[in-house]
Amino acid sequence: MSTLPNFRFEDAPDLPGSENLAKYGVAALRRLVHRLWDIEVTGLEHIPADGPAILCPNHLSFCDSVFVPLTLPRRVWAIGKGEYLDDWKTKHLFPAFGMIPVDRSGGDAAKVALDTAARVLDGGHLFMIYPEGTRSRSGNLHKARTGAARLGLRCNAPIIPVGHSGTLAVQPPDQFMMKPGLPVKVNFGAPMRIEDAGDPSDPRTIRAFADAVMFEIAQLSGQKYVNTYAGSDDTPSPTASDQTAVPTAPTRPTAPSQPPLRTTFASL
Amino acid sequence: MNLASSIEQHDPGRPALVDADASYTYGELTAQAATVRSILTASGVAPDDRVAVLAGNEPSFIGGALGALGVGARVIPMKASNPLPELERKLAVIEPAVILVGEEGAWIHEHAVTLGVTLIDVPTNTHAEANRPPIVDRSPDDVAFMMLTSGVSGDPKVAMLTHGNLDAGQAAISTGVDDGLRPDDVVLGALPVAHIFGLNAVLLTALRVGALLILERRFDIHQSLELVRQHKITVLAGAPPMWRMWCQIDAPAGTFDSVRIALSGAAALPADVCQAMQTQHGLLVEEGYGMTETAGVLTTNRGIAVKQGSVGQAIPGIDIVLVDDDGTPVEAGDSGEIVVRGPGIFCGYYNDADTTGQVLTDDGWFWTGDVGVFDDDGYLFLVDRVKDLIIVSGFNVYPAEVENILSEHPDVLGVVVVGGESVETGETVIAHVCGSPDLDELDAFAKARLTRYKCPTEYRLVDELPVAPTGKIIRRELR
Repeated sequence: MSTLPNFRFEDAPDLPGSENLAKYGVAALRRLVHRLWDIEVTGLEHIPADGPAILCPNHLSFCDSVFVPLTLPRRVWAIGKGEYLDDWKTKHLFPAFGMIPVDRSGGDAAKVALDTAARVLDGGHLFMIYPEGTRSRSGNLHKARTGAARLGLRCNAPIIPVGHSGTLAVQPPDQFMMKPGLPVKVNFGAPMRIEDAGDPSDPRTIRAFADAVMFEIAQLSGQKYVNTYAGSDDTPSPTASDQTAVPTAPTRPTAPSQPPLRTTFASL
Repeated sequence: MNLASSIEQHDPGRPALVDADASYTYGELTAQAATVRSILTASGVAPDDRVAVLAGNEPSFIGGALGALGVGARVIPMKASNPLPELERKLAVIEPAVILVGEEGAWIHEHAVTLGVTLIDVPTNTHAEANRPPIVDRSPDDVAFMMLTSGVSGDPKVAMLTHGNLDAGQAAISTGVDDGLRPDDVVLGALPVAHIFGLNAVLLTALRVGALLILERRFDIHQSLELVRQHKITVLAGAPPMWRMWCQIDAPAGTFDSVRIALSGAAALPADVCQAMQTQHGLLVEEGYGMTETAGVLTTNRGIAVKQGSVGQAIPGIDIVLVDDDGTPVEAGDSGEIVVRGPGIFCGYYNDADTTGQVLTDDGWFWTGDVGVFDDDGYLFLVDRVKDLIIVSGFNVYPAEVENILSEHPDVLGVVVVGGESVETGETVIAHVCGSPDLDELDAFAKARLTRYKCPTEYRLVDELPVAPTGKIIRRELR
């Protein structure tokens, strides 16, 4: 059992989870979670009392989406699969947590997700996004997608690196139940701004900033960093000055290239 | 086709070259090249034989190189300023049939016996027209030039460029009525002609379009400015160290007024130099990206809006893909090794199938060894060399980024960053610093501006840094 941090239920009528049901539901869940698990939280002073910020945690377990939001002093919104609304178990619960459903099947899914995130931040709220794009199966911290960095630039919002540990033991992959009584640590880092990393219009700055955020997360989570994307079975799409002008991908004599696969939602 | 034919299309009375007080018309240049052809033919030089041209930025280089190309030989430009031992090393790799010697290379005659290669002076008087052998027709795939690459990475390599390669490189610069080189242009030939930038982008392209080339045998800042003023230079091409000098010297207002095209290449142009030229002289220095193996330019910001820090967009006909270690194209916005394909890509290193196989694939892709990243508009930004990458705790550290930050310190004159071994982090960042900074203060300066893992863990003060004449750092000397 751990101490329950102060909490303010933020009014956001245009975002999901603003009804009374959510208000009392979230309060109950916060109490329950802090009673069932031994949660140690550090760095809460880095969370701004007002205004937008992007929380960037490492991602090991499904229950990261429970522990990180419920240790914050403010409400936080995040994007989730539209399919959750089709399931009676999750259709009310997840939006109450601040999940904004986005249909991932459409071609402009990434744009819709970004616009949704921008709506949250422009409203002065907290938004959470996993910079690795998906859960790390290896336990290592993986290379960041640049979506969070771009979002921070677009909405003039700082990024708060978050490193947690213990969630994998609470809920290992593909387990529905969360094991109670285990220790969980959630560490919030100091806010970071892309403008401090250089000229934001330079693509090198965006990449360098995304890497710097991962470095801070690694310090906070204690994970080993590997410079590959999580779930690297998904092969990314090619980049070129003019993709239509590149009929074939190059092949290194010793290592033939793999065929390009789809771009996933995770590439946000 | 034959590159040597390009000068024959111009009016023989048209001025082609100025070398100090002497000037030459296209007719005289054509006659000199033809005389070289007859001498080489008489000496038994056959198509595909290797002919070295030992000269400086002088008319003899042009006459010699075009003459040798004209008999179908492969030309190897060699700097007359090479010390003898270096020259001997290079000659051992090339094994030329003959060496054509210009005025600047005349010192080599003293060593004729030890070298054991036929030396032929490039003639200044020309043979009668009747005795001139015709230019041998070549296929675009036949090798025209064999270029000794600047060799910052180690052993000298000899890149073989075909007539087709060089033709494509020249076309990229000379096409377009307003944007490209024009017959009425006056071009400063101060870049070394033994380097691909000076050879193909400046010298051969100027002659191809029928422009006037003002040769500067040895670059001197004051002399070059005098040439710009005196000849009303319209096309000014330089390497970054030259541009730095041009912007640092207190040139009188209006010095560069005649310049309509300002080009920088061979190494990355520092942003402060680019800005200084623009603010002080109103000159927009256009940067391109290319290398010997690509016969020059791959990307340029000519004719498009210049983006600070970018080398521009790929020129038409050039495909560029960024790939990761496995050769998989990286995602949009990610950095990766620059892999290119196009008509200028060389056909391999001479007598070095292993090195060729590591960088050139059968389907024509060339692995540049450079890391770059595209922005959303297709502008390429160079990051660093693949092999200079330092990996600290799994994170990529590119020396260029650290060097750029440390160079901003007022007491730092120059800096080179290399990787060192570390038990805790795998590799660590070591900075070799030239200048007089207080190292604790420099460390604090770095920590305030760089992510922690990019901060040097060790600083070494050095008297001077190993820098090649093109401005490239010779890193291997510090590893």
